[in-house]
Amino acid sequence: MDFSLSKEQQLIQRAAQEYAEKFIEPISQQIDEENQVPDEILKGLGELDMFGIPYDDEYGGAGAGYASYVLAMEQIGKASSGVAMIISAHTLGLGAINAFGTEEQKKKYMTKGCKGEHIVSFAFTEPGTGSDPKQITTTAVREGDYFILNGTKRFISNAGFPGPVVVFARETENGKISAFIVEKFCEGYSVSEPWKKGGMHGGPLLDIYLKDVKVPAENMLAPSGMGYQVLQFGISFGKVGVCSTALGGVLAAMEESFKYAREKTHRDAPIAKFQAVQLKLAQIAELYEACKWMTYRLGWLADRVKDPVQFAKDAALTKDYVCQQLVEITSLAVSVHGSYGLMRDYKVERLWRDSIVGLQIEGVSDMQKMIVAGVMLGSK
Amino acid sequence: MNIVVAMKQIPDLQQIRIRNRQPLFDDVPLTLGTIDKNALEAAVVLKEADESIKVTVLSAGNEEVEDTIKEALAAGADEAFLILDDALEGADSAAIAAVLAAAIKQMDGVDLILFGEGSGDNYSGQVGSRVAELLNLPQVGYVSSMEIKGGQAVVTRTLEDCDEVMEIALPGIISVMAGLNEPRIPSVTQILKAGKKPKEVLELDEVDVDIKKLAFTETISNLAPESNRKKIVVKSVDELLQGLRSENLIGR
Repeated sequence: MDFSLSKEQQLIQRAAQEYAEKFIEPISQQIDEENQVPDEILKGLGELDMFGIPYDDEYGGAGAGYASYVLAMEQIGKASSGVAMIISAHTLGLGAINAFGTEEQKKKYMTKGCKGEHIVSFAFTEPGTGSDPKQITTTAVREGDYFILNGTKRFISNAGFPGPVVVFARETENGKISAFIVEKFCEGYSVSEPWKKGGMHGGPLLDIYLKDVKVPAENMLAPSGMGYQVLQFGISFGKVGVCSTALGGVLAAMEESFKYAREKTHRDAPIAKFQAVQLKLAQIAELYEACKWMTYRLGWLADRVKDPVQFAKDAALTKDYVCQQLVEITSLAVSVHGSYGLMRDYKVERLWRDSIVGLQIEGVSDMQKMIVAGVMLGSK
Repeated sequence: MNIVVAMKQIPDLQQIRIRNRQPLFDDVPLTLGTIDKNALEAAVVLKEADESIKVTVLSAGNEEVEDTIKEALAAGADEAFLILDDALEGADSAAIAAVLAAAIKQMDGVDLILFGEGSGDNYSGQVGSRVAELLNLPQVGYVSSMEIKGGQAVVTRTLEDCDEVMEIALPGIISVMAGLNEPRIPSVTQILKAGKKPKEVLELDEVDVDIKKLAFTETISNLAPESNRKKIVVKSVDELLQGLRSENLIGR
């Protein structure tokens, strides 16, 4: 068992850290307040290959695997969860194309995505679905060499950026759920304003309206009726990004807490001298360590998936655990700061607001537990 | 044109902790000298403007340099020339300069040798000048900007009270300052390609230098300075300003 990072992994981690500290951290409050990530940040991340870390260079990726992706995303997420959310959701969509796409589809849709020139989306959720795929009402009507898509998709990340979106729809011909690669902003594609969500500002969630969107039949992702498999397997890879983003929040909360405890004084001594504060700091450090190694392991597992069902379980339990701990740790971090932790002048206030999001996206907490129990009981 | 950039392996200074005034190096990742990275960036910028330029990174040190040097290869160096030997562990400026000079003699047609003004750890700032002396080459230090024009380098040397614009014949040695440029962050692809770039690795007995004849400087102690806080309480901004002035910290 070897827990050390290769030189390449150390350098990827440091490259992401350096970019995040130099360019993202100084404007992280602005991103939070404006709920928007400046284009030049996304361009800069694209130039560093941060949009295609796990994928083969044949499709424009860096070929560094999910293990390296996790390391980079932790550093980006530490500076801004909104920026990390864009890459995470993009990698969810791109990962589905990578896992299920034909050679032609991968060459056509992954190259620009890996370079960050396209930002990919993954559109499953609808106003009436929640996590239940049986409730999908978006329709795909076969017309010769095309499918005509109609429906509304809810809370779709990156829907306002150009690039492909993986859309799940019910084929009217056979009633089955299938996945399609749709080019955003094609005829009949429109979006809402971004939702004003509680945290992770900058990571945009929009509704997509599909009105008679004409999709070539060759854009079907995986065979007809395989939509549920694309969803389950694709979203397992997506959870690697959610975990890494959450881990970045955990790391930020830990660093902010230690820094504040050393700087803030009470009766002429730093509050770090007080045992009550030390207990909180120690608990944060313990939880960070657990979250870190679970997330790093998930990245490692994603590079060597043998059984998709087992991987789905590992992704679900890691995502649920790390996102839960993020809520716990940011609360502890706020309490280390006392009343100051509630103020926007302090980073922990934002970290605490951001923390609640992870549990609700890419499958709510209870759904993760059901996946874990289902796989372990042998019912999935 | 062949540019050689000399770079030193140092511990990542941000991750060194101090205990009992002694630096702790255990588990501290290794990196390359901060100003050395400015020197490399300067070479890579020249190379980007002129494809015929080849940038070779040169380093001498222990076996770990072979891994550490990937950082320079990721940041744009074409190849590495390394002298690796555990006997170089703790070698002082004189010894390293002798090894680097011997190595440069073995390299073909070197036109320009770049150094950072000082290393990131000890900052003795001696190696560039020593190598110039050993190789009998012209040298300029404290360089804050440079360009290559018609077979010579035109540089600005920044001194305390003035800037000097100088021409230096090539082959020559230039030591650069940190403000020269902003070293690039390597992309993930460049990082992964770094390990595949050409590398020439020599042992100490393969270069023409007798390390035994080089007296190593013995470091007797290396302590962090003691910080004595004066704990002066001031009751007004005026009093604070007065205190700072009396300590000669402002208004010089």
